Amino acid sequence: MVRIRVPMLPAPGELPWSASVNDTEVDIHVESNAILLDVLRDQVGTLGVKRGCDMGTCGCCSVLVDGEPRLSCLMLAHEAAGCALTTVEGLADGHHLHPIQETFTTHGGSQCGFCTPGFLVVISALLEENPEPNEAEIKAAIDGNLCRCTGYQQIVDSVRAASMIITSGKKTADATDPMPDPHPGMPTVEVESEELEVVPDE
Amino acid sequence: MRMPPFELHLPESLDSAMTIAGELADEDCDFDWIAGGTDLLPNYKWHLNSKPHVISLAKVSELSTLEPTHIGAMVRLQALATSDSCHPLLRQTSGTIASVMIRRSGTVGGNICLDTRCFWFNQGEEWRRSIDWCIKCDCGTGADCRVISHQNELCVATYQADLAASLLALDATIHLASPDGSRSLPLAEFFQEDGITRNVLKDGEMVTHLTLPDDAEDWQGDYQKLRLRESWDFPEAGIAAAWKIDGDGNLDGLRVASTALESIPRLHQELADEAREGWAGVESVNSLAVAVQKAVKPVNNTWFPPSYRKKMVRVLTRRALAPLERVEAAN
Ligand SMILES: Cc1cc2nc3c(=O)[nH]c(=O)nc-3n(C[C@H](O)[C@H](O)[C@H](O)COP(=O)(O)OP(=O)(O)OC[C@H]3O[C@@H](n4cnc5c(N)ncnc54)[C@H](O)[C@@H]3O)c2cc1C
Ligand code: SF4
Ligand code: FES
Ligand code: FES
Repeated sequence: MVRIRVPMLPAPGELPWSASVNDTEVDIHVESNAILLDVLRDQVGTLGVKRGCDMGTCGCCSVLVDGEPRLSCLMLAHEAAGCALTTVEGLADGHHLHPIQETFTTHGGSQCGFCTPGFLVVISALLEENPEPNEAEIKAAIDGNLCRCTGYQQIVDSVRAASMIITSGKKTADATDPMPDPHPGMPTVEVESEELEVVPDE
Repeated sequence: MRMPPFELHLPESLDSAMTIAGELADEDCDFDWIAGGTDLLPNYKWHLNSKPHVISLAKVSELSTLEPTHIGAMVRLQALATSDSCHPLLRQTSGTIASVMIRRSGTVGGNICLDTRCFWFNQGEEWRRSIDWCIKCDCGTGADCRVISHQNELCVATYQADLAASLLALDATIHLASPDGSRSLPLAEFFQEDGITRNVLKDGEMVTHLTLPDDAEDWQGDYQKLRLRESWDFPEAGIAAAWKIDGDGNLDGLRVASTALESIPRLHQELADEAREGWAGVESVNSLAVAVQKAVKPVNNTWFPPSYRKKMVRVLTRRALAPLERVEAAN
């Protein structure tokens, strides 16, 4: 015989909840028992926060709570009320990607990309606190984030490269600048101009 | 995962936490404390014995004091692992707990009060239904224990927290508070050999802090842990040893404690005392390691088979005591 295990209590009431998410004030109503990850994804709409295991193992759901990396899947939303929350969407500075976002693309730090938001957020906090981490410090900082694709070496390389950008004091490129060559390294093919004529639909 | 319904209370001081606990008790409402939530929330997500009310200690700042001999219940494990003002053995031990992300949330109080674990129990609801539940969460079916059947009412789920072993080896005292008052007891008397009740906390009672004896800094120690994946797994066996060397370089005090092997962590004081009296370096290390191995009784409810965990107890004890291989007994 199947028995229902959970006491069938009425859903907990909704309470006002406000926080600054990526520098935008959010004022909403949130259930008393809500988990921060669910609120960020389902109510605030910051879908960059990923749900991996939902159990504290993988680090995909990492966000910054007042600058400190925390697992949003294991945090009650109401404990984070009033805090400054940063998700991966909040890392870029206007049109300039955060250095770690840029070096993840140039150094292969991201493959399937599912773990990437978690890594980016955690590494941005590491670089904020320690702009020149050594290998052991990098590994210690990411030991709560799992990646099934990269084998971690490319991630460590990306952190080193980002650290170089930060310590040089330079900004990353403006992501909206037109690229001089969108396909670097591709052989150029000469195309006769009449071949490009647009044939209208019938 | 769908959270079970509960009402959250967020007191900002110890006094108001106690008031809320008292009020809930008066209304006969069950509740759980939540500290870092890294143990309670996964259990709630699996709908394991959730309660209608939860009192969060996150905003109670009085509980976060960290001094060499005073450790507040709400001290985060990562703070302990990186602090200069805590005993090196506790620093080493907390550094091995879970992963850095979990240590940023997880607390000392939550670690000491960690729920016991069992692979028939720490599972989703469907999974547990498929084995017809078990004593710890029987859903009113009167189910039997899946590890040792037809025994009695005892749940033998394993206590898999790390810090307790090292705190036992440092002779810590635990301090509790409830709406009725506060009390203190040696940490060794805090645990109860029952996978469901786990410890002596009464309804509405909580851990406020732990203290170490004044001479704690004269003690050195080591913690050795067996686990499946080094990055974050729970201990499958853990051995802490602490010792005191006198001015002549001889062994003047010794304590050995084990965790993750039974429903409670255990201080093996008699074995350590016996060994210390005639301490003879390597020989004593080996015989004490065998004695501790004989004293523990793991059951089959974690990832590694109990026979392997038991064998590893000898190895871990030897490793923890390795610095004493060339030390002699004090007269
Ligand atoms: C992936 C993963 C890996 C882990 N690995 C390890 C590991 O290697 N070693 C290890 O020891 N643990 C491990 N844990 C378990 C857990 O994260 C830690 O034990 C942590 O210290 C629990 O603390 P917390 O503050 O998060 O506890 P919570 O989840 O808040 O609470 C745990 C229990 O203690 C009670 N409680 C909390 N504080 C108090 C208090 N002050 N007074 C009375 N009761 C209280 C709660 O009611 C609850 O029953 C792991 C957890 C996960 C998810
Ligand atoms: S030891 Fe037995 S009663 Fe306890 S959780 Fe495991 S199966 Fe259930
Ligand atoms: S989703 Fe939070 S750690 Fe995996
Ligand atoms: S890039 Fe695929 S899991 Fe990390």
